[in-house]
Amino acid sequence: MSNGAATRRLLLPGSSFYVIFFVIPFVILGLYSFWTQIDFKMHPGFTLEHYQAVLTTSLYKGVFLRTIIVATLTAIIVVPIAYVLSYIMQFVFPRKGRILFDIILVSMFSGYLVRIYAWRTILGKEGLLNATLLQLRIISKPITFLIFSNWSIAITLVGLLIPLALLPISSSMANVSKDHLEVAGDLGSRGLKMHRTILIPMVLPGISTAFAISFILAAGDFVVPTMVGGTNGVMVGNLIADQFKGLAPNWPLGAALAMSVLVVLIAIHAALMRLVREITRW
Amino acid sequence: MHDSLDELRNAKLNAPVSRRYVLNGILGISAVAAFGPLLAACAKSDSSTEAASGGKLGGELNFIGYSGEDAATVAKDFLTKNGITVKPTFIASPDEPLTKFKTGGRGQLDIISDNKDFQRSLLAAGEELYQALDLSRIPNAAGLFPAFASAEWLTKDGNVYGVPLIWGDEPCVYNPAKWDGVPAKYTDFADKKFKGELVMVDDAVANTWLWAKSMGIADPSRMTQKQIDATIKEMLKTKPNVVTFSASLGDQADVLVRGDASIAIGGWAYQIVLAEKKGVTLKSASPATDGTFYWSDAYGIAVDAPNIDNAYAFINYMMSPEANAAIATELGSGATISAAVDKLDANTKGLYDYSIVAQPGGGVLGSQVVTPPINDDGDIVGMPKWVKAWEAFKLG
Repeated sequence: MSNGAATRRLLLPGSSFYVIFFVIPFVILGLYSFWTQIDFKMHPGFTLEHYQAVLTTSLYKGVFLRTIIVATLTAIIVVPIAYVLSYIMQFVFPRKGRILFDIILVSMFSGYLVRIYAWRTILGKEGLLNATLLQLRIISKPITFLIFSNWSIAITLVGLLIPLALLPISSSMANVSKDHLEVAGDLGSRGLKMHRTILIPMVLPGISTAFAISFILAAGDFVVPTMVGGTNGVMVGNLIADQFKGLAPNWPLGAALAMSVLVVLIAIHAALMRLVREITRW
Repeated sequence: MHDSLDELRNAKLNAPVSRRYVLNGILGISAVAAFGPLLAACAKSDSSTEAASGGKLGGELNFIGYSGEDAATVAKDFLTKNGITVKPTFIASPDEPLTKFKTGGRGQLDIISDNKDFQRSLLAAGEELYQALDLSRIPNAAGLFPAFASAEWLTKDGNVYGVPLIWGDEPCVYNPAKWDGVPAKYTDFADKKFKGELVMVDDAVANTWLWAKSMGIADPSRMTQKQIDATIKEMLKTKPNVVTFSASLGDQADVLVRGDASIAIGGWAYQIVLAEKKGVTLKSASPATDGTFYWSDAYGIAVDAPNIDNAYAFINYMMSPEANAAIATELGSGATISAAVDKLDANTKGLYDYSIVAQPGGGVLGSQVVTPPINDDGDIVGMPKWVKAWEAFKLG
């Protein structure tokens, strides 16, 4: 058997899984966006009315903008934190760093909703943060925007996504030898310059993946906005989810919204990654 | 053992508006302990099971409905004794059984548990989902309160399509440490003194209905586009005072308990019980002028149900006073079997005014229609436009 055939056989299980559980559902979702739904039934056809609704409904524009801002803000905060943590774990305290890495990962086992509720406990009107600030007499009455605001969405998402962003960056950084950094230092590339010109370019695939994970998950999340977003915290994820449930579902509109978000996210991700490459170019 | 709100955190939180949704975490060992005496009585009270089943019990029972209404705890002994395994599918919105039935679920559903307005809409629209019941196989249903024995929302052409399991209302629940009561009208919540104090459930129908009622619209379930637009415009005056649209009634209770809001609009009396377990005192009241609306959930049997004997026997069992009292207690709801009321503890019994259901027709419970038509009916706008209007409110 040739190497090519053997490779194809080895790839078959994984690629089959990918095709069945990602590609086919994705294609179906794409098709739905051109169909219509009447009385809970999907009617195959071709209409652009749902995309037209996405583009022309003024209320949706505000939601898209808010989603992009919150997701971008979240990713911009998450990735540097994950990068710094990875650097500390890999190069500053390589032995103890492993423990820190495990602790951060273990936090993921506590459950998504539990962690969201934990943030509610911290950020609430009578929550931990307000209670502490009141106790220290830094404030005289509770800060209300800490919870049920766009800030609380971003803060909660940052808390939730750091462990996920940590994985690809740590993985990339594990492939970087400390010798490289020492040589770079000997040649005059130290401190921030070392990060900008040596380490970041070397771990850029990990950073890119971390950014994509943070950005996409933040933009698509509908539980966090529901739980801590308040009345003005509706994001695209909520809009999409609403189209797939309830007494008047509109799957085609939901599919069109999902496809539109995907296009916007890919464009923003590509632009930001290009920007990072430019900044870190020698 | 009653740490129910903590348990709620593990519930499915993207589910909308459902009082039963809050119940996901209330089931289990604590329920067994709380309802032990009732459950023991239930085990002795199924003498009519044989009549209901035709003596052919065992195997599977496919349930689709609200969480908790599968009665996994309440009916445990009955199910074990008869070798029945319930395969539950829980829903977050009342359309889901119909959607499942129409998308390959026909012949795979036995018992459907859904709310009265949706059942009414289905029967009115002639949608095929429920089969007419043979009440001779549900002898315990003879004990239903008059309001439920003659439930017109479950009757068509002389056939009965469901038997009510529980009922209740959606009052305002408030923190008495901050408020003496609630205003007379829902529109009064626009007052600036309520800023940062209100929490609503993310429910397109309930909130819009309450505000339309408050604006003097005679039958809020049948509004024109102009009326629904005016209602949303009025609701937007209150929106700045609302801190969040909670995902469920359980989440709404959590917001109250944490002190992030002090008044729940369209709440649930059982939130008071849940909050009490957390050491927080809440009270319920409905705006004096506007009142609120009532709901009821009923069991029905799907067309082409594959396990019809099990279905009849199960429904009959749940209509026994003991089982009905147990499920009402577990779900913080009203009992539908009159003899069940005496078996309720004082707290559960005190949640609802049973004089409403003691009258034939069910008074306000029977006459109220909350859910709009599924589709437009002339100038009357259907559900999709209500959902659009609610979306405009949320995004506005």
